[in-house]
Amino acid sequence: MIEVKHLVKIFTSRNQVVRAVDDVSTAIAKGEVVVVIGPSGSGKSTFLRCLNGLEEFDDGQVIIDGIDIAGSKTNLNAVRREVGMVFQHFNLFPHKTVLENVTLAQRVVRKRKAAEAHDKAMALLSKVGIAEKAQQYPSRLSGGQQQRVAIARALAMDPKVMLFDEPTSALDPEMVGEVLDVMQQLAREGMTMAVVTHEMGFAREVAHRVLFMDAGRILEDASPAQFFTAPREPRAQTFLKQVL
Amino acid sequence: MPLKKRSPQWPWQGLLVLILVGMAAGLWFATQRVHYEWRWERVPQYFLYQADEPQVAPAAGTVQAIHGDGATRTVDIAPATGGAPLQVTVASSSLQVKVGDTVAADDDIGTTPHWRIGPLTQGLWITIWLSFVSGFIGLIIGLITGLCRLSPNPTLRGLAVLYIELIRGTPLLVQIFIFYFFIGTVLNLDRIVAGVGALALFAGAYIAEIVRAGIQSIPRGQSEAARSLGMSSTETMLHIVLPQAFKRVLPPLAGQFISLIKDSSLVSVIAITDLTKSGREIITSSFATFEIWFTVALLYLLVTSVLSQLLFWLERRFARSD
Ligand SMILES: Nc1ncnc2c1ncn2[C@@H]1O[C@H](COP(=O)(O)OP(=O)(O)OP(=O)(O)O)[C@@H](O)[C@H]1O
Ligand SMILES: [Mg+2]
Repeated sequence: MIEVKHLVKIFTSRNQVVRAVDDVSTAIAKGEVVVVIGPSGSGKSTFLRCLNGLEEFDDGQVIIDGIDIAGSKTNLNAVRREVGMVFQHFNLFPHKTVLENVTLAQRVVRKRKAAEAHDKAMALLSKVGIAEKAQQYPSRLSGGQQQRVAIARALAMDPKVMLFDEPTSALDPEMVGEVLDVMQQLAREGMTMAVVTHEMGFAREVAHRVLFMDAGRILEDASPAQFFTAPREPRAQTFLKQVL
Repeated sequence: MPLKKRSPQWPWQGLLVLILVGMAAGLWFATQRVHYEWRWERVPQYFLYQADEPQVAPAAGTVQAIHGDGATRTVDIAPATGGAPLQVTVASSSLQVKVGDTVAADDDIGTTPHWRIGPLTQGLWITIWLSFVSGFIGLIIGLITGLCRLSPNPTLRGLAVLYIELIRGTPLLVQIFIFYFFIGTVLNLDRIVAGVGALALFAGAYIAEIVRAGIQSIPRGQSEAARSLGMSSTETMLHIVLPQAFKRVLPPLAGQFISLIKDSSLVSVIAITDLTKSGREIITSSFATFEIWFTVALLYLLVTSVLSQLLFWLERRFARSD
């Protein structure tokens, strides 16, 4: 589903060059749940944002469902329809109601009829458990509720892949569970997912593979069972000691 | 013991009233010293006045009969060429003919009073629509320039910066002169078009900066979320960024429109009879200098405060989603 070949992303800001993603190659199969972990600043977010072209990478290739996203004939907007993204800070549209947040892109991008978009949105909002808030504005919702709306908004486009960038990091601890539950259900339904998270429990239970990143490189690519019991890399060992 | 002590408000309000009364008294004494004679009763006629419109005989003939009493009289004129009598109605006090008089065509029979719009009302109207039209065009110019200013294309960005800097770096009065005497002559523009053009270009530059700041105040995450859903940059601008930016720019935009109404008084230098020019013209004939200028100021104040109320109301409506 996703193929990444020799991906490089360099940030240059005020005589400082950061290789945020440094020659990363990997692949994510259809229906696979891959969790990306690593210390702060290791390039996890940047890597994820390269996957849907939010970040223009400097070198390498990202191929989504057979389409090279940096190809000269590729319509990036068409690719992004198929790749849902959930952000750390939800990024809901504050001037739209919850329902409108979920219907807007369906109408504008997928050109669905109002009734169809509405039905789809209500079905998804029920699925994430906040159908009763459909007419509210996002500012009236708790963090956990907002993040679930954001997930519904992404799912409304019927994406083939979902990217999650620390979806629970901005939440109060008691709300983390409700969001993880929704993600776990998605994984069970066979959604292809790439998840950056610090929730080791989620990684252990839900992930099929764990990628450990440090300084822009993938240092370890292993099953959760192997990664959490016997990490090979010394830096992964130190990291695990700190977070577990 | 509450931390916040409530001191009584009335001594300060009393002081405020005292100061205001003092200022009014000062003004009165000042006008006494220059022996100014206030003639406020002269002002209303410049808003609305009654003019006598002459009524003439439609054809040559003789006055056959005059009927009616009270305020108006109807005069029956039998035409010299024969036929049914023609009727003319005039005000009783202005009647100039008697029964049996012979009248030629277009002879005065009398007058009828008519309400006319005075120069102050006309000037006010010119000021309002001049500001409205140039504000509207300025808004469009400002929106386009603001977007160009943020465009990744260096040509568009350069043009936008040049325009904004040129307009903001020169006085409006000079711009109006250039627009009227140079561009107006070259393109053969009407003075009204030149006035509206100069005001719109002037407002556009400031509105562009307001628009730019408004767009930049919307967090990056908003457009990233929209783009990640597959929206194009135009769709993102239209559905996500501009609606949110619009809400934020309403207060500075209101200020800009209010400035525009006041700045529009400068077009009187190219002989557009706006409120200010009307005021000046009236003074040359009425000598009620102080009254007219006070009235003109009051009228500007009226228009600007109506506008700010309107925008305040709009702002409240948009605050729904907070
Ligand atoms: N827009 C940017 N401009 C300059 N440098 C950037 C930018 N975004 C990220 N970086 C740098 O790239 C490196 C990787 O950042 P990234 O946000 O991908 O890390 P991360 O693994 O997601 O960290 P965190 O766990 O804190 O979210 C960091 O050194 C960061 O300073
Ligand atoms: Mg990050």
